[in-house]
Amino acid sequence: MAGSRTGRERSRRAERVAVPLAGLATAALLVVMLYYPVGTVLVEAVTRDGAPSLSPLLDVLRDPFYVGALAAAVRDPAGVPAGVGAWFVTSVADVLGALAAVPGAVLAPDRSTLGALAAAWTTFVGAFPPFGLFGFTAWQALLSTLASLALGLPGAYVLARFEFPGRQTIQSLTAVPFVLPSIMVAVGFVAAFGTNGPLNDLLRALGLPTVELLFSLEIIVLAHAFYNAPLVTRIVAAAWESVDARTVETARSLGASPLRAFRDVVAPQLAPAVATGALLTFIFTFMSFPIVLALGGLKLATVEVWLYDRVQQLALTEAAALAVLETVVSLGLTYAYLRYEDAATRGDRVASALKREPLAGLDAKRIALVGYALVVGLVFVLPLVSMLVASVTGPNGLTTRYYEFLLQRETTAATSQTKPGVAVRNSLLFGVGTLALSVPMGLVLALASLREGVASRLVGVAAMAPFAVSGVVVGLGMLQGLVFGVDVFGTRLAVGGPVAIVAAHAVGAYPFVVRNVAPLLGGLDRRLVESARALGATRARALVDIEVPLVMPGIAAGAAFAFAISIGEFDSTVILAEGSRAYTMPVAVERFLTDRTLGPATAMGSVLLVVTAASFVVIDRVGGRYRE
Amino acid sequence: MDSKDAERTDGNGDRSRRAYLATVGSVGAAALAGCTGDAGDGSTPTETATDGTVTETATATPTEASLSGTLTVATYPSWVESDGAAGPWLKEQFEAEYPDATVEYVTPDSAVNYFIRRKQQDAPIDADAYVGLNVDQLLRVDSELDEPLFAQVGGELSNGDAVRDGLRFDPQERAVPYDTGYISLVFDESAVDRPGTFDDLTTEPWADSLIVQNAQSSATGRAFLLWTVKQFGADGYLDYWRDLDSNGITVLGNWDDAYNAYSEGEKPMVVSYSTDQVYANRYDQDMTRHQVAFLNDQGYANPEGMAVFADSEKRALATEFMDFMLTAEAQGEIAVRNVQFPAIPAEQANLPEEFARYAKIPDEPVTFTYEELKGNLDGWIEDWAREIAQG
Repeated sequence: MAGSRTGRERSRRAERVAVPLAGLATAALLVVMLYYPVGTVLVEAVTRDGAPSLSPLLDVLRDPFYVGALAAAVRDPAGVPAGVGAWFVTSVADVLGALAAVPGAVLAPDRSTLGALAAAWTTFVGAFPPFGLFGFTAWQALLSTLASLALGLPGAYVLARFEFPGRQTIQSLTAVPFVLPSIMVAVGFVAAFGTNGPLNDLLRALGLPTVELLFSLEIIVLAHAFYNAPLVTRIVAAAWESVDARTVETARSLGASPLRAFRDVVAPQLAPAVATGALLTFIFTFMSFPIVLALGGLKLATVEVWLYDRVQQLALTEAAALAVLETVVSLGLTYAYLRYEDAATRGDRVASALKREPLAGLDAKRIALVGYALVVGLVFVLPLVSMLVASVTGPNGLTTRYYEFLLQRETTAATSQTKPGVAVRNSLLFGVGTLALSVPMGLVLALASLREGVASRLVGVAAMAPFAVSGVVVGLGMLQGLVFGVDVFGTRLAVGGPVAIVAAHAVGAYPFVVRNVAPLLGGLDRRLVESARALGATRARALVDIEVPLVMPGIAAGAAFAFAISIGEFDSTVILAEGSRAYTMPVAVERFLTDRTLGPATAMGSVLLVVTAASFVVIDRVGGRYRE
Repeated sequence: MDSKDAERTDGNGDRSRRAYLATVGSVGAAALAGCTGDAGDGSTPTETATDGTVTETATATPTEASLSGTLTVATYPSWVESDGAAGPWLKEQFEAEYPDATVEYVTPDSAVNYFIRRKQQDAPIDADAYVGLNVDQLLRVDSELDEPLFAQVGGELSNGDAVRDGLRFDPQERAVPYDTGYISLVFDESAVDRPGTFDDLTTEPWADSLIVQNAQSSATGRAFLLWTVKQFGADGYLDYWRDLDSNGITVLGNWDDAYNAYSEGEKPMVVSYSTDQVYANRYDQDMTRHQVAFLNDQGYANPEGMAVFADSEKRALATEFMDFMLTAEAQGEIAVRNVQFPAIPAEQANLPEEFARYAKIPDEPVTFTYEELKGNLDGWIEDWAREIAQG
């Protein structure tokens, strides 16, 4: 009797400290795996010759190559009003002229309309002063974000509002593009959209003019949308599934048209998710690098291209300065977003999902969806199929040679060689480990960022740091902060291998859990938790019994993303796996690349694609069960 | 020049002595090699080398004990991973020759920078030899580190003299070349005429035809850029690139990106290697799309070297490994497997007959020396990259 009571007390005590302990553990992991290693690199941006200094940052900000017209403003702040005035005088006529041409062209559409609009646009854009490498990088990220929204939002609508066979599978597969190594996407895109690719073959067959997409800004934006539109789709679809159906029914019963109900009731509930998708897309594409050089080329270089070059040259001061400025942009946007999210999601909703419509039938809406399906087929399915085709195509036609290479490597690999099977196994194990670690981390941080006020918003901003720091810098930080080790009382402590990889992946993945869960947690009726606490439940008990079940759709979505991050992560994995058998599928793809043939790498990439697709179907099935 | 460099870098007495002996050794061996080379055509490089016993004064004569244990060789991934890679073959052969030795490869993602950073942070190097060193990396090693990262071994190698003189890129004889490539253009003869000169590339028939690699991120692209600097001078190469750019070129990230786009028929010319047909022939490809063009009858030589880490405790085993890589058999095999040219004269390496037919050698190989690149390389690349990126 007495024994069981102390047992219960002990477990209550454990429950009471569970949340603070989890918070501490999360903070410790973040310090070891992120803030410390990254700090060892970024500190170079604010020191010169060992003393604190802002000059590395100012050097970048004074260089017109990096910041264009801003450089003059940094060099001579007093000259800004005169400079703006001069620009206004010389350019305002151009801008007005460009804008004035638009109504005429639109009102009287004819053959020249498109050309006239394009010319007006060029004049309009050209009238603004260039903002250098940073300006271009932000510009392409903005276009990529708009394209990802345009391609991703209809997908969220279809997946959240309609029922059709294969819906769940398609929803699962939307995570696939996100994990693909850039070389695979480059191979798929060149094959699909090149001069001799199926798109141009089709246009030629239809007697239409062909399109020159490669090596242009358009193809970069398209590739970025390929990576990120599915992200938008998943995040927004998850939010759409947790819209409170009763609010829509109420609006409808009060006489609102379906469109009106959507605009006034549904759209405000979706807006935070849309903004989340846009924010993440912008951050990711702002720091995009290999895909830009592979499909667009150096003429369309981003800041990250220069950052990578500086790291290669070991010009670490300038590298750190560029990285800090990139991070400031990303975190600044995150802060602005969190302010908005605070305002948008406070509420007392309880989710009761909207019913899905059957997709079968024929009306204007569904015809538009057919058009959307065609676009999806072109932008997503065609490159994916092209990747798979490339892995079975040699210079002289169909071949199984590249897969034979993988098989042979699997069975007869020499000791230092990479085995495909080991890579697959490691990727899956690390993925599951990451999921298990990042979900509690994300939950704890979502709770911490939930309170109102600047402090918790800053926690929210800090929580996004893994996304906002350049992967090149994270890799370098891991190398010098962890892999090389530090001397502690004469013993060298070094970190590496499978456990470190899972920890690094979890650190890179938990922001997805936070961003998927925090808005839902914020929207919960606080009184539920408060009554549970008043009835004697510990904070941990209230979290597990009340909040977690209610935000399960967000957790499931975040967990799937965490798994995806782990599968696709390259920068830190390749460094922590060095010298051990802990390599993953993307690392294997990279190692099979040679200056002679892409074949084995595309075969390994296709294995990655198929394994990932299959695991997402499984994960979503399991996650879906929790959602019901 | 060699001895001056040796004195400059080696601070402490012990190393100076060794370096001095190594230098003497290399001079002695070179002289001997010259003699035997003139004396009779029948002498193989291995025999020449055994004559140069002077080298053995530099280190203790290798004994059974010093030639055992694990030799850790750092290299780039495709040395180990590519289909029919040279690395595993070499490991097997070397271990057969030295049964008490084991070769282990490591392939750090950041290549030589990995070891430079280790050295800068006083972390143990944990590797004995490096395979795949080029002159750019050596320049970086020397500009970043005061302490030596690699040891001076030139004179200690019995087979070292066989290496062709034009390929030696390290004045301090730390890095010893084991193979070389020549940068050239590969083109599709059904789509464009063979370009003969650099100036051709700026004219209408070759407009919008060429894919090159980004010199910042690709060794191939860097070699092509240096070739243009060699041709037009440090004052003129940017003008040439402006002409080239206005005639239409595409600058992609690395060799894979560029060659993939070329293979898909996006453009009819790409910067690549003059051994392109060796690979094409291996898979019976149509040679129409694998034509090799040397501009101005030149090709830019890009030798790859190997070196021993100064901190290695397995120096005897490591130099034995390097020597092994320079034997006639290994040179032929490395060339074929790596699709590169041997570092020793081709007639001395065991090369299959087909190799000479498909591996093209430029009339005039050109390259920059270590001294010419020193202090200039990064600036040339940066100026070029800013020119292109602004475009």
